[in-house]
Amino acid sequence: MKHPFQLLLANSKGTHLFVSVKNHLQVYDLSNGNVVGSWSDTVDISVPSKKQEKKVASVEELKGDKKLKNNDAKPVAVAKTPVPIQGATPIYNYIRSLNLSKDEKYLVGTTDSDKAAVIFEVDLANSENCLKIIKRQIFPKRPCAVSIGDDSDLIVADKFGDVYATTIDSEPPVDEKALTPILGHVSMLSDVKFTRFNGKKFILTGDRDEHIRITNYPKAYVVKNWLFGHHEFVSTLHIPSYDPSLLISGGGDDYLCLWKWYDNKLLAKIELRDLIAPYLTEAHMPAERFLKPDSVKEISITKILTHSVDDKKILLVLCENTNCILTFEIAGDFSVKHLQTFVTKDSIIDICLEETSGRVFASIDREEGDLVELYDLGPDGQLSVASTNMGTKITEGNHCQVESRQNFYPLYYINTLRKRSEH
Amino acid sequence: MAKPVKDKETQLREQQEAETRRRQYRTNQEETRKKLKHARFEESEPVEDTDGKAQVHLPRKRFYRQRAHSNPFSDHRLEYPRSPEDMKWEKLYPQYHDKDSDSMLSKVEIADIGCGYGGLLTKLAPEYPSTLILGMEIRVQVTQYVEDRIIALREKHKDDEVNFQNISVLRGNAMKFLPNFFQKGQLSKMFFCFPDPHFKQRKHKARIITNTLLSEYAYVLREGGVVYTITDVEDLHIWMAKHLEEHPMFERLDKAWEEQDKCVSIMYNATEEGQKVTRNKGSKWIACFRRLPTPEDCD
Ligand SMILES: C[S@@+](CC[C@H](N)C(=O)[O-])C[C@H]1O[C@@H](n2cnc3c(N)ncnc32)[C@H](O)[C@@H]1O
Repeated sequence: MKHPFQLLLANSKGTHLFVSVKNHLQVYDLSNGNVVGSWSDTVDISVPSKKQEKKVASVEELKGDKKLKNNDAKPVAVAKTPVPIQGATPIYNYIRSLNLSKDEKYLVGTTDSDKAAVIFEVDLANSENCLKIIKRQIFPKRPCAVSIGDDSDLIVADKFGDVYATTIDSEPPVDEKALTPILGHVSMLSDVKFTRFNGKKFILTGDRDEHIRITNYPKAYVVKNWLFGHHEFVSTLHIPSYDPSLLISGGGDDYLCLWKWYDNKLLAKIELRDLIAPYLTEAHMPAERFLKPDSVKEISITKILTHSVDDKKILLVLCENTNCILTFEIAGDFSVKHLQTFVTKDSIIDICLEETSGRVFASIDREEGDLVELYDLGPDGQLSVASTNMGTKITEGNHCQVESRQNFYPLYYINTLRKRSEH
Repeated sequence: MAKPVKDKETQLREQQEAETRRRQYRTNQEETRKKLKHARFEESEPVEDTDGKAQVHLPRKRFYRQRAHSNPFSDHRLEYPRSPEDMKWEKLYPQYHDKDSDSMLSKVEIADIGCGYGGLLTKLAPEYPSTLILGMEIRVQVTQYVEDRIIALREKHKDDEVNFQNISVLRGNAMKFLPNFFQKGQLSKMFFCFPDPHFKQRKHKARIITNTLLSEYAYVLREGGVVYTITDVEDLHIWMAKHLEEHPMFERLDKAWEEQDKCVSIMYNATEEGQKVTRNKGSKWIACFRRLPTPEDCD
């Protein structure tokens, strides 16, 4: 069986789809479903990272794509199964985040294996492999989220709560010990967003406590304010491209927050519990050791997207390990109305939106059949299955075979951000 | 000259008995604390008037023993307000609460971060009689000791001019939740007296002064506000001074300033840790910094 896709990212014109499967990145041409770019993280995680020389390898699992040349093509053995370091949670060769620069000339992925941000030049005219690695910057702690500024600033938020600013260029990477954080929380960071407002630049950060912080940039030592509205961890921050004064945040609460972030104003709480309850399963209960008499099924937000169609502002929400997408309309007075619960057969791992035509891509957790589904977002805010075989084509391009579900990488981990009482 | 060796069982029993005595003492104190309806901001019942029926004595420190260190990164389920607006300050400073308008007459302006047993608070109380002063401490039992100490002082001095109504303490992790308690620019002074040194290189991020945390302290401090630091560990002094000096929002105050500032002399010997250092004839290093104006191009 094939390993499902973990991350999906479409470019704005909707011509290409960037995906991750385990330690592999692929780029699909959406006009024909062909794989036009690929890269694999082949850092050997069985070797403690300190002693690690960058081991590179030809990629067995992708060898279907004979035409594709891997970027660093010196064949060395790849560690196939993750080897947990004593006592620690296992580290996977895994791409945790994927981002495109505003001009879409660069793709940035982050790896858990060597705690790096990997920067690629995207050259769609290159028929051999459109991804060319230009820099691999290692960070002191595992990067959790990345945001790319418009002056090639690369903002990286890590597991330790620190945020670093580096640049997208082909200069040699800086020694990780020489990096100093530009800002920090004393809590794991889950998301970061670079944004501009009123001609000024800001960084928004969300953490495992319930904090969202707004910081000036580049003078990141000046905190603007915190946004207080969450009771549980924050996992995703979304700034609609149609109105950068808005922010929609979600995490471990039963609701999302809609903010005028610059004015420190909570406009609305968008309640999800009643809508999503029918789609929660036993898997949403806390693990046995955290069960309490009053435990309920827990909601965690995987993705928040917005789309503006004919003046209608549509909000799409994916809750972790559910088989549906909730859509809402955000009215001019910022009241939020539920439009649709779009249901598919199996759990959705990730979704992305291609803004030009309003097409939604969803990666699906299933053992057989299409691993990607395509939906159209109509002007009425309703999702419908797109009439295309692109999902099948993309699935064919995935050559990452595993024996069973047991060999899947963790697909749902957002709920592990939830704080459990220590006494 | 070997001491008679106690068998393991006796040792264990004695330890247990001692712990039971400590626990019993703290339970009794808690009863008193509850009667006096003090401090706990999460309790939603109205504050009752204290009629002074409960017999209040100054608490005894030895019953509040606790491990010296508490991990500032851990998720101990601390109680903290959702936001500064949600903080029920009237529980901590009942006499500064205006019942008619249900609002506080003043806001906290001075914070003692990691206040330990509260010596600095009690010395600052008479010096700033109309300013609210707060100690923040992460260890539960140490916090309870300070609570009990303040209850006793308030009780004992209830008819005096200095009545200790302007000082209070709460349990909190200042490295994580300061902005939940204080608004932007609310504080005029922050004290860091004899902070935990965290000697190992690896643990430096656990220090209470780091370049990233300083930005949070700059946020809660108003322009012109002062950060006071004192320590008996020279390495830590160098570290704190270096990070504050490097931070663009702070400027070092010189020796002459230190000499004329009354808080510097109070801080020198007011805290329990400071007194211990004096007894042991240790050295003390001081560094104070002024919070600079927010750059014009920033919000
Ligand atoms: C060495 S003691 C000094 C106490 C007091 N300032 C004195 O001078 O006597 C340091 C204190 O800081 C407290 N502390 C450490 N980290 C803290 C944090 N993140 N928030 C609040 N208190 C903290 C410790 O529990 C300890 O009581």
